[in-house]
Amino acid sequence: MVPFSETLVRLWELVVNGNFITQLLDSAKLFLAGFGLALIVGMPLGMLLARVRTLRIGVEPYIMILYATPMVALIPFILSMMGFGFAPKLLVVFLFAVFPVLYNTVEGARSIKPELIEVAKSFRSSEWSLWREVMLPYTLPYTMTGVRQAIGRALVGMIAAEFFLSATGLGQLIMSASQNFDTGGVFASIFIIGLLGIGLTRLGLVIEHHFARWRQ
Amino acid sequence: MAEQVLSAHVPATPKPAAASRSGTFVPRLITGLGIVFVWEIVVRAFAPAYVAKPSAVILVIPKVLSDPTFQKALGSTLSAVAEGLAITIVIGTVLGLLMGRSPTFDRVFRVYVNGFNAMPMIIVLPLFSLWFGYSDAARIATIIFAAIFAITMNVADGARSVPREYLEVSRSFRSGRLRALTDIILPASMPYLLAGFRLAAGRALIGAVVAEFFLSVGGLGYYILYNSRSYHHNEAFVGVLLLAAFGVGFELLVNWATRHFMPWYRRDEKQN
Repeated sequence: MVPFSETLVRLWELVVNGNFITQLLDSAKLFLAGFGLALIVGMPLGMLLARVRTLRIGVEPYIMILYATPMVALIPFILSMMGFGFAPKLLVVFLFAVFPVLYNTVEGARSIKPELIEVAKSFRSSEWSLWREVMLPYTLPYTMTGVRQAIGRALVGMIAAEFFLSATGLGQLIMSASQNFDTGGVFASIFIIGLLGIGLTRLGLVIEHHFARWRQ
Repeated sequence: MAEQVLSAHVPATPKPAAASRSGTFVPRLITGLGIVFVWEIVVRAFAPAYVAKPSAVILVIPKVLSDPTFQKALGSTLSAVAEGLAITIVIGTVLGLLMGRSPTFDRVFRVYVNGFNAMPMIIVLPLFSLWFGYSDAARIATIIFAAIFAITMNVADGARSVPREYLEVSRSFRSGRLRALTDIILPASMPYLLAGFRLAAGRALIGAVVAEFFLSVGGLGYYILYNSRSYHHNEAFVGVLLLAAFGVGFELLVNWATRHFMPWYRRDEKQN
C-alpha cells in the first residue's frame, strides 16, 4: 500500500514528463481504429441481416453465441497466429466491439414497422433510397445503444491487447509500473484509465440519448 | 412477400410449434455447416498445420475431456467462479439494497459504483498481483471486482422500483421495517437480481480467464494459454468452446429461472 499523496506525485510526474501523453495517443490510435472498423462492419451488416430474412434466421444464433463468448479467450490464438504487431491488436479491439453493434442494429432493423417499408415500396422507392431514408434513420437509435456498449468493450479489448499481445500505450504504462513494484505508479495509471473509462461511458450515454429522441 | 408482411404484423397468432421450428431450424443448420465448412477449407488452404480446424477439434474432444489435467483446470476455474459469485451476490445485494432504499447512502456511493462499473475491469490485475501475489486469492479478487457492480446496480434499481403502495399497505398493517425488507423489497427486486446475476456471471467468467492469463494460475484460461503457446490449438479450442457453452448456458439458465420462478415478471418476454 502507498499513501495517496505518492499516487498524486506519480500522477503529476507522468503528466509532466510527457510519458502519459505519448502512451495515451498510442492507445487512442488502437481504440479508434478498432472501434471504427467495428462500426463500419457492424452497421451495414446488421441492416443487411434485418433486410434479408433467411440470412438473419440462419446467422442469428451464431451471433448470439459469439456475443456471449468471452472474447479474451481468443487472444492466445491471435497471438500465436499473428504475432506482436498492430494488426493482431486491432483484431482484438474489433472483436470486442463489433458484436454489440451488430446485435443491436439487427434488433433495431427488425422492429421497423412493415407498413413503412410497404409504403416506401408502393411509392416505387428504390432499394437504395429505402435503406437511406427508412432503414438507416429508424435503426440509428438502436445502433447507438450498441455503440455505447461497444465503447466499454472496446476499452477492455484495448487494455487486454496491450497486456497480453505486446505492451504498448496505457497498458504498458501500468505494466511497467507493476513490474517495478511502483504501487504509486500503478494507482496513477489506474486512475487515468478509470477516468478515461468514465468519460467515454458518459460520452456513449450522451450519444445514445441524443439519438433516442427520435426513437418511437 | 405480402404473406410475410402479414405474418410479421400479427405475431400473436399461435403457430404449431413444430412448423415454426422446422422453418428456422433448416436455415440455421445450413448456415452452421457452411461456417464450419468454410473454416475448414480456409485453414487447410492457407493456415499453418497447427491452427485449429473443425475436423481436428471434434476428433480431439474426447481426449481433452478425459484428460485429468483438463478436468483439474476446469474444476479449478469453476469453483473459483462459484466462490467469487457467492461472495459477490451477498455483498452486492446488501450494497444494492442499501443504495436502493437509503437516499443518503445512494448519494454517497452512487458516483463510485458507477465509476468502478465504467472502468475496464482488467486494469486492476497488476494491482491485485502486487497485493495478493500470483495466487488464487488474486483470481477470486478479480472475479469479485469484475462481477460485483453489475449486481449492486441492478439490485439498487430493483429496490428503488418497488411500488410505493406495497410499502404503504405493509406499514398500515404495522409490519416492521425488517419484515418489509425480507417480504416485500427483496422478492420485488428478485427479477433485477437475476438480471444482474446474468451479467455478473458472464463477467466473472471473463475475470477468471483474464486473471489466469495474467497471473498464470492453473485453470481453464491457463489451459487455453498454455496449449495455444505450445501450438496445440485444437486442444485449446475445446476450452474456448466450453467457455462459450458456459456463457450461453448462464443466459439460458437465468431466462428459464425468471420465467419459471417469477411468472409475474413479464418484461423480458414482451420484448421478444
